[in-house]
Amino acid sequence: MARRRAVTGARVLVLVILGLIWLAPAYLIVVNAARPAGAYNPAHAWVPSGSFDLLANMRRAWDAAGLGESLGSTLLYSVVSPAIAILIGALAGFSIVTLRLRHGFAWFMLIFGGTVFPSQMLLVPLFVAYSRFNLYDTRFGLILIYTAISVPFAAFVMRNFFTGVAFSIFEAARLDGASTARIFWRMYLPLSWSALAAIFVLEFTFTWNDLLFGMTLAQSPGVRPVMPAVSALQSDVYAGTPVPVALAVGLLVSLPAIALFLATQRFFTRGLTLGQL
Amino acid sequence: MTTRTPPRLTTARAPGRLTAARKPSRGHHDRALFGRFRHGYIAPGALLVAGLLYLPFLWTVYLSFTNYDGLSPATWAGLANYRALLHDPALLTAIRNTLIWVGGTTLLPVGLGLLVAVLSYNIKGGAWLRLPFLLPYAFSGAGIGLVWGVLLSPGGTLNHVLGFFHLPGAHTPLLSYAPLNTVVLIIAMTWQQIGVNTLLFVVGLQSIPREPIEAAKIDGASGWALFQRVIWPLLSPLTTVVVGLALVASLKTFDVVWVATQGGPGRTSETLAVTMYRDTFVADQYGYGSAVAVLLTVVTGVVSVIYLRQQLSRRERLNG
Repeated sequence: MARRRAVTGARVLVLVILGLIWLAPAYLIVVNAARPAGAYNPAHAWVPSGSFDLLANMRRAWDAAGLGESLGSTLLYSVVSPAIAILIGALAGFSIVTLRLRHGFAWFMLIFGGTVFPSQMLLVPLFVAYSRFNLYDTRFGLILIYTAISVPFAAFVMRNFFTGVAFSIFEAARLDGASTARIFWRMYLPLSWSALAAIFVLEFTFTWNDLLFGMTLAQSPGVRPVMPAVSALQSDVYAGTPVPVALAVGLLVSLPAIALFLATQRFFTRGLTLGQL
Repeated sequence: MTTRTPPRLTTARAPGRLTAARKPSRGHHDRALFGRFRHGYIAPGALLVAGLLYLPFLWTVYLSFTNYDGLSPATWAGLANYRALLHDPALLTAIRNTLIWVGGTTLLPVGLGLLVAVLSYNIKGGAWLRLPFLLPYAFSGAGIGLVWGVLLSPGGTLNHVLGFFHLPGAHTPLLSYAPLNTVVLIIAMTWQQIGVNTLLFVVGLQSIPREPIEAAKIDGASGWALFQRVIWPLLSPLTTVVVGLALVASLKTFDVVWVATQGGPGRTSETLAVTMYRDTFVADQYGYGSAVAVLLTVVTGVVSVIYLRQQLSRRERLNG
């Protein structure tokens, strides 16, 4: 018994030491993001400044880097694209599983295969085509690509989910005279809301965190998503942006995704287990 | 397909309407049950994926065989771009850095994630002890690049912290020299990614069946032997997935490098994904950049196939 307690004690000790090492950078980031913008000195970075200027630093970045506009656009992309993609993915999963499309697995592989190759394979043609068809630097163009890139995963989860839904539901509704569209919209979609929510959270985070497509397909502050704006900020940290402001921006752009995740955590884990059926 | 129709259907309100009366062909039956426009439900997804993912993919393969600057029409160049790849020193650096990323981010975040999961599993307050490792997961790749770019800058915060604890590296500019700059960025990514791996492994540990562990304990196994002989083999399906995901993600490392160093100084911290972006959109060599993208895709594909085959054969050995 004594030996067992010693082992548990050693486990806790290792975890606490590792945990403190892991908290140190987080501490440095928060303390220096809360420092008055002009008061950063790397030699005393680990000493708290005593004043709390985090929000002031965030506001300063919001105004100076045009981050406010970027955040608005990013929110638009991160909500609209996953929502459309989930609907399209659910339609695809519904047609493959419930409507028993012939060669259903081949259709599924066609759609799911879209996520296999690296995004770098898409950039040049998308850039050229977007420039030619006046989609470059437009909100519509970004919604389009974020939707397309989100469809395969949505179709994957929804196909799995619908496999677990009894076919008799469809038959019963059909015998009651409901149209296919009505069955999908009024029965299958409401039935699967937990899976839909889980996909939404993941794809919201993916879209929110995207850097590559945003910096390739847009440039003006109102259209460009927030991560490319952040990366442009870093390029002139030494010239313009004070360190506390840059760190405050790093925290600010991380907030929405983590807030959504925490708010939906319970449905999220439940939806994922259902998706694995 | 018709055999899967539950028999209940024929005794329902409209007996035989769907099955018995109209059963001359499968197509006929399907149309009655599913309606005429089944393909209309898959069309939006198929069209979107074909138009915005498959078509650009094929186009990039074509462009990799051309000279193209994005303005004048592309001209056929045969294998010239691929031949140029062989003699490009920046590309060799990128391949070396990408391999360091692959090794580093499959070993460190996965190994440390497993360590934290195993240590914190089944002890009082384990969830609280895991919390410090979960916090950094809030940051995106670009966010990590931004904040660590600041912390790691020459004469910056981390240099002073190292100096304060009398650790080596207090006067080393951490992001200025290869391969040190790649290594410290891997440490930054490890800081962020350990949390999600810990969570996955905790879920994996919770889903391990009790019986083999109890049996091994009765046989006298404990501590390291218990982990090595019983728990680790039972975790291996999950480990395969976690390592596989880390492997594929590390091959495509872009965000953190681009934001922290833009691949510099002097292209020393570039990964293949960064080289592709720079060659294409900074140097306007669309054909050459496409060839780098194709190389990246081939490398990713080959590594994934090798990894999966090795894992499958390992499992066969274990089972047989």
